[in-house]
Amino acid sequence: MSASQSAVRSRAEAVKVSRTFDWMILFTLFFVVLGGYHIHYMLTGGDWDFWTDWKDRRLWVTVAPIVSITFPAAVQACLWYRYRLPYGAVVCILGLLLGEWVNRYLNFWGWTYFPVNFVFPSQLIPGAIALDVIMMLGGSMTLTAVAGGMAWGLLFYPGNWPVMAPLHVPVEYNGMMMTLADLQGYHYVRTGTPEYIRMVEKGTLRTFGKDVAPVSAFFSGFVSIIIYFLWHFFGRWFASTAFVDGENV
Amino acid sequence: MKLLKDKVAKLSFVALLAASSAAMLYTPTAAAHGEKSQAAFMRMRTIHWFDLNWSKEEVKVNDTMTVTGKFLVFAGWPETVDKPDIAFLNVGIPGPVFIRAGSWIGGQLVPRSVSLELGETYEFKVLLKARRPGDWHVHSMMNVKGGGPIIGPGKWTTITGSMKDFVNPVTTLTGETINLETYNLENTYFWHTLWYAIGLAWLAYWVRKPMFIPRSIAVESGKANTLITNTDRQVGIGFIVGTIALVAMTMVSTNEKYPVTTPLQAGLLRGMKPYEMPARTVTVKVEDATYRVPGRAMQMTLKVTNNGDSAVRLGEFNTASVRFLDPAVLEDTTGYPDDLLAEEGLTVSDNSPLKPGQTRTIQVTASDAAWEVYRLADLIYDPDSRFAGLLFFFDENGKRQMITVDAPLIPVFI
Ligand SMILES: [Cu+2]
Repeated sequence: MSASQSAVRSRAEAVKVSRTFDWMILFTLFFVVLGGYHIHYMLTGGDWDFWTDWKDRRLWVTVAPIVSITFPAAVQACLWYRYRLPYGAVVCILGLLLGEWVNRYLNFWGWTYFPVNFVFPSQLIPGAIALDVIMMLGGSMTLTAVAGGMAWGLLFYPGNWPVMAPLHVPVEYNGMMMTLADLQGYHYVRTGTPEYIRMVEKGTLRTFGKDVAPVSAFFSGFVSIIIYFLWHFFGRWFASTAFVDGENV
Repeated sequence: MKLLKDKVAKLSFVALLAASSAAMLYTPTAAAHGEKSQAAFMRMRTIHWFDLNWSKEEVKVNDTMTVTGKFLVFAGWPETVDKPDIAFLNVGIPGPVFIRAGSWIGGQLVPRSVSLELGETYEFKVLLKARRPGDWHVHSMMNVKGGGPIIGPGKWTTITGSMKDFVNPVTTLTGETINLETYNLENTYFWHTLWYAIGLAWLAYWVRKPMFIPRSIAVESGKANTLITNTDRQVGIGFIVGTIALVAMTMVSTNEKYPVTTPLQAGLLRGMKPYEMPARTVTVKVEDATYRVPGRAMQMTLKVTNNGDSAVRLGEFNTASVRFLDPAVLEDTTGYPDDLLAEEGLTVSDNSPLKPGQTRTIQVTASDAAWEVYRLADLIYDPDSRFAGLLFFFDENGKRQMITVDAPLIPVFI
């Protein structure tokens, strides 16, 4: 029997090659997503994610989920429709968080000596699990966008609260009240980030008294739904295959 | 086949590079040495820093030093720069080598942005606590929204000791004393590790089974529905229920552990108290001003009138933090940075005491290498070639008064 027709000679070998591909593709996916998503998130979420004194109840809660649902939506579109693999959102967030932590640890702390407790990234895993599981259980893009997008917005603040709450304990400092997070921003001098560019606690949600975080989270969930649709279609388009001739491969 | 494998391998490598560079390259701005590259007119016509004092030249980790002084918000603020309606008193250091333990304008703590008035002089103080050993250039600095950082004079300061010993104790309103340098760090690592592990577990569940090729074949041959098993569904439900339960439970337990929390504090501070400068009894009119490029000297013809009751002499011309002194009148005893101090840089054609009621026209020359070193001479290439600065006159009792000058400058190239 001639072996020239196929690169693999047995079923076992085919399985092995297929497995090798699995690892190579996953590895590539992980780092491509890490790179692209990380840049995207730094450019759009930027300071809100970098500094604890930007992590407020209004804008951080609103902005971070909206700008971060993008890549998970796109990668889900690809992995679900082509492979029925429901880990698109989680793999994105694992990549993003690894990149963020490397950046914060090596650059913010290792290079410029900002304490890690001031510059750690936001937590996004709970929302990613919700997105992936909803996609798997429903198998529907619309359901994932609506239920998943909302869950993504709603889980963000409580998912981060165990880490953020200790930094919102108030202090009296030279006659003014501030939170420990504000104090971090004041103590650890940022020459290039003057206080006035900090966008916190601004907005029009004043009629809700002190319960602005849930309202912001709902609003963020709604916008996340829209962004999910948009990026899901980017992902679909990106994952569509135009086959080329065998000889060109 | 091999070709494809190579391609994937190559792509992976490119991806790794892209990813690592994205992760590695971004570092928050920490350097404080933009002082010389800032447009000369910005430094001459916005904030005039004077009476600067650095309380120490060498300081041990955990010890404090102060940077004190005054600044005049120049009345002839350039049109091209936003007015300092929103400004932040900063300190120009390479990242948090010191922590800013306090900063005050006119005695008011200014942890947030402030509104400043043109033409007013303010007194400021910055309290710094040494954190990282090394030689650091410590500048006063004012960030102006829409105008950028306006950097003041810098002085080299040495921090000795070890950063390991640095502590930052803070007492909260709930009565707890914490070290802000490491506070909440373990808690942060714990939650991030836990959630990362949960995310990895979800990924691992799917990765253990064959993935892309067989599943792709199945989807394309219409068997997509067989790819998610009942076990998969149950595991998925477990993950989502577990996630929501964990988030809810930790939210409750966190609120129990930290019953008192407040939102971040923000908002503009208004009504900064200006510093009352001594009344001005001298008037100065700039007749003309030229900058001699080859000689690195600025020459002004000034018509000075003394309306006071004590004879005065010109002791200092200060522009963009460079101080030109006439040693016969004024010597610096504050340890002002050498590179910004021209101790004999001011020559006055006739600097004999100007008696009350008298008017005299004098030629004043301010010459020093600092014109070049600090690139102030670049002023002649600015779109609006004006110079500005502070003149300090001293009367018989040594009392000082400050006069601002603001006039066109003509370059002389030969
Ligand atoms: Cu410097």
